[in-house]
Amino acid sequence: MLPFSSWEIGPIFRAMTRNKVGAVLIALQVAVTMCIIVNSVHILMERTEQMARDSGIDEANSFYLSSTGFADDFNDQVVIQTDLDAIRALPGVIDAMQINAIPISGGGWSMGLQTQPGAEFEGVGTAVYMVDDHVLNTLDLELIAGEAFQPSDIRWRERSQRDWPAEIIITRALTENLFPEQSYQDTVGKTLYINDDEPVIIKGIIDKLQAPWVGWERLENAMLSPEQTLFSSSMYFVRTEPGRLDELMPAVEQMLADSNKGRVVRGLRSMQETRERTYRRDQAMIKILTTVMITLTLVTALGIVGLASFNVNRRRKQIGTRRALGASQASVLRYFMLENFLISSIGVILGAVLTVGLNIYLVQSLGLTKLHWWLIPVGMLTLWLVGQLAVLGPARRATATSPAIATRTV
Amino acid sequence: MFNYYLRLALLSIRRNPILSGLMVAAIALGIGASMTTITVNYLMSSNPIPQKSEQLYYVQVDSWDPNNPAEEPNEPPDQLTWTDANNLYAAQKAERQVIMATTAAVVEPPSQDAKPFNAYIRLTTNEFFPMFDVPFLYGGHWQASADKGREQVVVLSRKSNDKIFGGENSVGRSLRLAGRQFTVVGVLESWYPAPKFYDVGTGAFDEPEDLYIPFLLKEELQLPNGGNTNCWKTPEEDSFAGFLRSECIHYQMWVELPNEQDKQAYLAFLNNYANEQKALGRFSRPLNNRLSDVMQWMENRQVVTDDARVMLWLSLMFLVVCLLNTVGLLLAKFSGKSAEIGLRRAIGASRQALFYQHLVETACIGLTGGIAGLALAYLGLLGIGSLYGSFADNLTSLDINMVLLALLLSLISSIAAGLYPTWRACSIAPASQLKSQ
Amino acid sequence: MLNMQNVTKIFRTDLVETRALSDFNLHVKEGEFVTVTGPSGSGKTTFLNIAGLLESFDDGVYDLDGQNVRHLNDTQRSRLRNEKIGFIFQSFNLIPDLDLFDNVDVPLRYRGFNSSERKRRIERCLELVGLANRMKHLPAQLSGGQQQRVAIARALAGEPRFLLADEPTGNLDSKMAHSVMQLLKDINDEGTTIVMVTHDPSLAREAKRNIFVKDGKVSDVTHITASTPEQVASISASGACHV
Ligand SMILES: Nc1ncnc2c1ncn2[C@@H]1O[C@H](COP(=O)(O)OP(=O)(O)OP(=O)(O)O)[C@@H](O)[C@H]1O
Ligand SMILES: [Mg+2]
Repeated sequence: MLPFSSWEIGPIFRAMTRNKVGAVLIALQVAVTMCIIVNSVHILMERTEQMARDSGIDEANSFYLSSTGFADDFNDQVVIQTDLDAIRALPGVIDAMQINAIPISGGGWSMGLQTQPGAEFEGVGTAVYMVDDHVLNTLDLELIAGEAFQPSDIRWRERSQRDWPAEIIITRALTENLFPEQSYQDTVGKTLYINDDEPVIIKGIIDKLQAPWVGWERLENAMLSPEQTLFSSSMYFVRTEPGRLDELMPAVEQMLADSNKGRVVRGLRSMQETRERTYRRDQAMIKILTTVMITLTLVTALGIVGLASFNVNRRRKQIGTRRALGASQASVLRYFMLENFLISSIGVILGAVLTVGLNIYLVQSLGLTKLHWWLIPVGMLTLWLVGQLAVLGPARRATATSPAIATRTV
Repeated sequence: MFNYYLRLALLSIRRNPILSGLMVAAIALGIGASMTTITVNYLMSSNPIPQKSEQLYYVQVDSWDPNNPAEEPNEPPDQLTWTDANNLYAAQKAERQVIMATTAAVVEPPSQDAKPFNAYIRLTTNEFFPMFDVPFLYGGHWQASADKGREQVVVLSRKSNDKIFGGENSVGRSLRLAGRQFTVVGVLESWYPAPKFYDVGTGAFDEPEDLYIPFLLKEELQLPNGGNTNCWKTPEEDSFAGFLRSECIHYQMWVELPNEQDKQAYLAFLNNYANEQKALGRFSRPLNNRLSDVMQWMENRQVVTDDARVMLWLSLMFLVVCLLNTVGLLLAKFSGKSAEIGLRRAIGASRQALFYQHLVETACIGLTGGIAGLALAYLGLLGIGSLYGSFADNLTSLDINMVLLALLLSLISSIAAGLYPTWRACSIAPASQLKSQ
Repeated sequence: MLNMQNVTKIFRTDLVETRALSDFNLHVKEGEFVTVTGPSGSGKTTFLNIAGLLESFDDGVYDLDGQNVRHLNDTQRSRLRNEKIGFIFQSFNLIPDLDLFDNVDVPLRYRGFNSSERKRRIERCLELVGLANRMKHLPAQLSGGQQQRVAIARALAGEPRFLLADEPTGNLDSKMAHSVMQLLKDINDEGTTIVMVTHDPSLAREAKRNIFVKDGKVSDVTHITASTPEQVASISASGACHV
C-alpha cells in the first residue's frame, strides 16, 4: 500500500481550481440531480405507502354493478330481493348484498357522529355504508367485538328519509376516534348521536374498513347501517370464490339484464379495477418519477463520462509524463477517481442543501410531507457512487496510456 | 459566410460524433421532459373561453353554518342552495345568468335497436348556451318560457345524438327520459372545453354531459343529485320538496357582467340579497359574497393539480441539469479546438467571426436537440395519456404554440448554454497556442 | 549499470514494419555520461524509451542495475522508473494545470515521501535551477529555457541514479544549452549516470563517451578523455540538489 502522501488531494484540488468551470458544472449537475432524485424518491415512498394501505375487504375476489329501473311498473323492493336471491344462488358466489357506496371508489356518503347530543358539539366524520346482514361475509370483515346484524335488523330506506336505524356497527378506528380514552371492547353498547341529536347504539365493532375517499384524513372511519336502499339505482356487491371472478362478472351482468327488461344494468367493475382507477394518478406519478430519476441519473452519468473522456484525451501527454515519472497504472486510475470524488463531494454537499430547500418549498406550497432525514445521506452516497462508476471507464482508458507518449507526442 | 459557418459546424459535429451525440441527447431529454410537463400544465391552466372569461363570474354567497366556515379560512361555500339559486336567478340582475346542477336518468331511445342507457344530464337554464358560446350542430337552445313552463325539452350532445339517433338531425324528434316524453330542440357540435370550467366540481377535465334539460325539471321529475351535495344542517322534512328547501348546497350559478361597473352593481345586489335573507333568519355569517371570473375560479378550485406542478418543477430542474451537461460538453469540445482557434486567430479571423462560427455550431446542436426533444415530448404525452387514462385525454395534445415554444426553448437554452463556452473559445489569444505547452 | 544485448524493437503498423532498433548493444557503467547522436529516425528516442522502461522491446536482453527488466509487470516498472530513473524530455512535458512546485512534486508523490521531505527537496531543486522565486507560477508563464530547467529540477528531485535526457537542449539557444549541459555535468560529477540524446556535436563532445546510432544499431563509440571546460553564464550549479 502506498503511503497517503501519494494521494494527491492537494495538487488535484489546485489543478481543479485552475479548471474551475468544468468542475463547477459537474458539481452543480450532481447537486441538482441529487435534489431531484431525493425528492422524487420521497414522493415515491409517500405514494407507495398510501397505495399499500389495506381497504379491509376481499378485493381480489369482489366486484359490483348497479341496476337502474325506468319502467313504470318497476318495483324496486321486489327486484332487489329477487336479484340478491338469484346472485347468491349462483355457484361460485360466496355472498352478495346491496350497498350504497363502494370503499376506495371515490364516491360515497358521510355523516358526523358525536358522543353527546347537541349542535354545539363537534362530530367525528365517518363514511356510511348501508348494508344488510350479509355484510361480514360479503366484504370479508372481521367482527372483533359485539354482535353482527340479524335479518330482522335490516330495514328499507326511502330516498329522502332522514332518520337512522337504532343500532350500527363501526370500525375500530372510528370508535377509537370517538372514545380515545377507552379500549374498543368497552365501547360496544354505547350510544352515539347522528344528525346532532338522533341516538344510535354501537352494536358491534369491525377490525378494518376504509371509506370511499382515499385522500381523506379519516379514511379508516366507517360505519355500517343495517338498511337496504330504495334509491333510483341499486348497487350490488358480489364476492366470489377465488379464481371465479372473471367468469362470474359477465354472468351476473347478463343474468340481471335478462331477468328484467325494465332497467339498465351498468357500472360492472371489479374491486381491483376500482383500486387501480383510484390510485391511477399515484401510480402514474410513480412511473413518471421513476422515469425521470433513471433518465436524469443517466444524463448526469453520461455528462461525467463525456467530460472525463474529454479530459483524459486532453491530458494524454500529461498522463504519459506522469507514467514516465513513475506513476503506476493504479495511481493514474486513482488520480481520476479522486478528482471525481472531490468534485462529487462538493456537488452532494450543495445537493443536500438544495434537496432540503426544494422539500421545504414542496411542503409549504404543495402539501407534501417532510423528508426522512436519512434519504439525504443515502442520496449523497448514491451520487458519489454514480460519479465513481461513470468516471471508471474513462479513468481505465487513461491508465492504458503508454508512458512513451511523453517522448512521442508533439 | 453563414453557409461556410454551417459547413464548419457540421464538420466539427462529425469530428466528435460521441460528444455531439451526447449534447443532442442531453438537450433532447431536457426539452422532452420539460415540454411534456409544460404542455400538461399549459392545458390544465389554459383559458377555456378566452373571448369572455373576464365577463363570466361564478357566484358564491355565504349561507353556511354560523359556527364554521364552509372552507378554511372563511371561504364561502362553493355551491348554492336551491332556494338561493332560484331567488338569484329570478332577480335577473345580470346581463345573463344561468343556474345549474347535474343529475342522471335512464334514456330510452325511440328506436328498438338502441338500448336504454343511463345518461349524465345537466339541468340548466336557457342562457347556458349563448353565455358559454356553446356551438350548435342542429337546432338551438330552448327559450326562457320553456324554463318557466318546465317544458320537457332536451338538447343533445353530438355524441349522444350519434348514439340515440345515429347522427341524424333529430330536432323535433322525441325520446323517453326518466320515464317522460321529451322533445329534442337542439344538438351540439363537438364541444370539449378543457378545463370544463362551468362545473369543475366532479372533475375539471371530464367530458361535458350527455343531455341538457331545463333546470326546474329537477323539482318536477324529482331527479336525483349528481355531483357533490353538502349540508351543514340536516333537512327539516322527509320529502323531496323538503330536501330542496333545505340548507344543502348542490347548485351552481354563473352571471355575465360586461364591465367592472356591472360587476360592482351585482356584488351590491348580492350583499343586499344576503341582508334580506339575514332578516329572514338565514345567512348568520358575516357578509362574504364573491364573484370570481373564469380564471380566478379555476385558480380557486385548484384546477392545476399539485402533481402537475411538482412534475413541472422537477422537469424544469431536469432541463437545468441537461443544460449544465451541455455547457460542460461544449466547453470540453471547444477547448479541444483551442489550437485550431488559435491558428485561425493567427491567420486573421476576428473574434467576432469566430464567435459567430461557434454560435452557429451551438444552434445546430440546439435545434437538433429541440426537434428530437419534441418527438420525446410527443412520446411523453402519449405515455402520460396512457398512465392517466381518460383524465388526461384533453391534456395531452401538442398544439402549434407548444411546438413553437419547444423549438424556441431549445434554441434559447442551447444558445444560453453555448454562450459561455463560445466566449471562452474566442477569447483565446492567438499567441498562446504557439507556445509549446 | 545499464546493459543491453541484441535488443530489438519493431513497430508494427497496418502495413509497415519498422525496425527501430535491431541487435542494439550497449553497456553503460555507473557514473558514466554518455551522449547519443545519430541521424533523425535512427532509433535514439526508441533506445532511450526502452532504457527508461517507457516502452517494451521485442527481443534481446536488458539488465538495469543487474536486474533483467524483460518480464517486469507495469507496477514494478513504474516503481523502477520512479526510484532509479529521471527523465528530461525535449518538449519539457510540464503539467500545465500545476504550478512549478506541484510539477516538481509529481514524482515525489509517487515515491511516497512525507510532506516536509518533499517540500525540502522541491525547494532545493528549484533553487538549483534558479527558479525558487517562481514556485507558484504556472508553466505557461515561463520561457522555454525556464521550463526546461523546471523539467530538470523535476528529474533530479527524486535523486535518480540514472538520468535520461532526450534532446534537453533542443529548444534552447546555444548559451542556454551549454549552461544546461554544465548543470548535467555537475550532476554527473556527483555520481549520477547520464544518457543524453543530442543533435549538437559541440555538446556531444563534452561528455565522457559518445555513441553514434544508425539504423537502429550502435555504429560508433567515441571516448572523450578530457572535457573542455566552458564558461557557464546563467546557472552556477555549485552542487546538485542532493540532500
Ligand atoms: N509509435 C511508432 N510507430 C511506428 N513507428 C515508429 C513509432 N515510433 C517511432 N517509430 C519509428 O521508429 C524509428 C526510430 O524512431 P526514433 O523516434 O527512435 O528516432 P530518433 O532517432 O529519435 O529520431 P529524431 O532524431 O528525429 O528524434 C523511426 O523510423 C520512426 O518512424
Ligand atoms: Mg527522437
